[in-house]
Amino acid sequence: MEEIKKSRIRTITSGLIPFVFLIVMILYIVGPSSDLLNFGVPLPEITVEKVEFIDSEIQVLVRNTGPISVNIAMADVNDRIQPAAIEPDKSLDRFETALVRIPFSWNHAEPYTIGITLDNGVRFHKFIEAATPALKSDYQLAGFFAIIGTYVGVIPVMIGLLWLPFIKRIGKNKYNFFLALTVGMLIFLGIDAMLEGFEVSKENLSANFNGGLLIITITLLSFLGLYYSAEKLTSRTGLTASSKPFAIGLMIAIGIGLHNLGEGLAIGAAIALGQVALSTFLIVGFALHNTTEGIAIASPLAKTKSPIFKIIILGLIAGTPAIVGTWVGGFFYSTYTAIIFLSIGAGAIFQVALIISKWLYQSEQKLVQTSIVSGVGAGMLIMYLTSILV
Amino acid sequence: MMLMLSVIIGISIIIVFSVYSEAQLEQKTFVTHTGQVIYTSGDILDPVYTNSTVEFDPDQYLRNFNYGRVSESKTDQIIRDFTIIAEDDKIQEISPGVFYNVWTFNGTVPGPTIRATEGDLVRVNFINNGSKSHTMHFHGIHPAEMDGVFELVGPNGGQFTYEFIAGPVGVHPYHCHVMPLEEHISHGLYGVYIVDPKTPRPKADEMVMVLNGFDTDFDTENNFYAANSIPFYYQHHPIQIKTNDLIRIYVVNMVEFDPINNFHLHGNLYNYYPTGTDLIPSTFTDMITLSQTERGIMEFQYKYPGKYLFHAHKVEFSEKGWTGLFLVQEDKENSGD
Repeated sequence: MEEIKKSRIRTITSGLIPFVFLIVMILYIVGPSSDLLNFGVPLPEITVEKVEFIDSEIQVLVRNTGPISVNIAMADVNDRIQPAAIEPDKSLDRFETALVRIPFSWNHAEPYTIGITLDNGVRFHKFIEAATPALKSDYQLAGFFAIIGTYVGVIPVMIGLLWLPFIKRIGKNKYNFFLALTVGMLIFLGIDAMLEGFEVSKENLSANFNGGLLIITITLLSFLGLYYSAEKLTSRTGLTASSKPFAIGLMIAIGIGLHNLGEGLAIGAAIALGQVALSTFLIVGFALHNTTEGIAIASPLAKTKSPIFKIIILGLIAGTPAIVGTWVGGFFYSTYTAIIFLSIGAGAIFQVALIISKWLYQSEQKLVQTSIVSGVGAGMLIMYLTSILV
Repeated sequence: MMLMLSVIIGISIIIVFSVYSEAQLEQKTFVTHTGQVIYTSGDILDPVYTNSTVEFDPDQYLRNFNYGRVSESKTDQIIRDFTIIAEDDKIQEISPGVFYNVWTFNGTVPGPTIRATEGDLVRVNFINNGSKSHTMHFHGIHPAEMDGVFELVGPNGGQFTYEFIAGPVGVHPYHCHVMPLEEHISHGLYGVYIVDPKTPRPKADEMVMVLNGFDTDFDTENNFYAANSIPFYYQHHPIQIKTNDLIRIYVVNMVEFDPINNFHLHGNLYNYYPTGTDLIPSTFTDMITLSQTERGIMEFQYKYPGKYLFHAHKVEFSEKGWTGLFLVQEDKENSGD
């Protein structure tokens, strides 16, 4: 007993010793009396995260994204100095935010550049393509968003599911083609979600947050997490051959649901940011695009007898997140939530694509055959062509 | 015992909360362009209308003329001695809350206004306490070696004495002429040099306005413009003058980066003497356009009391600080009759 205890303590200490040295080294390098790394000038930096147009006032959310604390000195609109207020106060610690209120009778749909000047005279700015009144969160608007989410998410997926009887009647090769088509579509959607995330992070996220690595990390975590739990789930319950397709259908539905959440975010944010023309295209484009997602859910279910209500539930799981997405995007849009949802969606989609591929491999013992290769290719092409509409 | 304790706790809670709620209620106000009053619980960022002061006082600069230490030689030559010290390490607040490394003659931007009468011997003992070479280059007539271009004055105590006969009559700039020139000028090494005619100009309320700007983020575009360095200063500190008083402004444009500047006066027109070299005005106008170091003398009188704007009619400049007010007050004794 004693022996075991002693050896445990030894293990723990030996694990801790490197940490102690690490701390000593860091203290030596950056500690108060050290001037070893005292070169270069730390440059203050802020990021204008959000600009909202309220009645005769422009409200600007700024965040200190630099290595040192900063003082905000001045605000301008289109490079012309304006009286303004800053709440809670003008000094910002690292990562702290403040709201700059600029009383300004702005003109509807005109472009504006909002500038914020620091105490060292450096000006940071953000360009807004068209000023539109900030949305007021009320039930009417929530209802409006719900309708849009339904048009974009729920209805197209349901329409896509209507291909189920057609897929049921076709032969094995053609059926494999449709499964492979699904894989192609999913790969496309996963890449699409990641690229979208990179774009959002490039436009709105300070370089400090390492947006690109954040997306890759979350995508991988989401992929590994879902893959692991799906494996555990299928092995533990000992699913029968007939229920496995449904489990895969469910996973596809969840993956696509997360993807649609991202699409909803994009639409909600576009409306909230006043990009009305853009949001109309988004709605039409996503609606067409999403019918193909119905096929993706339908394919693995085709050779089983699934009750209609289960299929409808899968459709809802895939479709309704679009509604939630529009709400979140429209009412609480933030760069961080958008990037995180997009990355989780990408990971989920890649995981489903892998599972279907494994499934195809198990039934065929090889993946290189005309139906599968052409299916993947066709899936990506269809997705690309419909995505042009967005 | 318990009762006592609860009473003490109760009272302290009331005190804490009242302090807290007072802090919440403490609100500051500022006005907008339309006169609307805005309340905020935070800080105010308003160089435009909110009365604020910085280290440099444009009011003091406005009517401050340096005639030098006056002496006479055996030949009755009037000599004016000036001492000018250049520095380049000061960080000054050039707009409320904005700090910038100014390069200065005698500690201010613009440097002191040097004034002499035509024919005087001007002697400027120049000391360079900066970390770079600097010179003083006067616009005017003088020998080549007094031009402050090729005779670099070294850093950390270098000295040079500029000596020349004041002339011609007028208003001229002086500035550092060390390369890179734009850098030395835009950091603030300039000032005004006035040469009075031997027969003085009519008595007037005289002032100097240097039209200048600061490029605080070094993108070769000015972030701030002003008359006498501090943006919007004369907007919240109006220049007080009297009706029917003759006002004379020595105006010098030292703005870098922008090709032109201009000066528009409200509710009035002025006689304009380009460069001040002629004693007859060339035009009667409310708008002149000035290129780099272009300058002149403006003379006017206000008939009616009240507040009158003066500003760049290149409105970008006025909305970045180059704007001000004359507050004209009725002068009972001198009612013009």
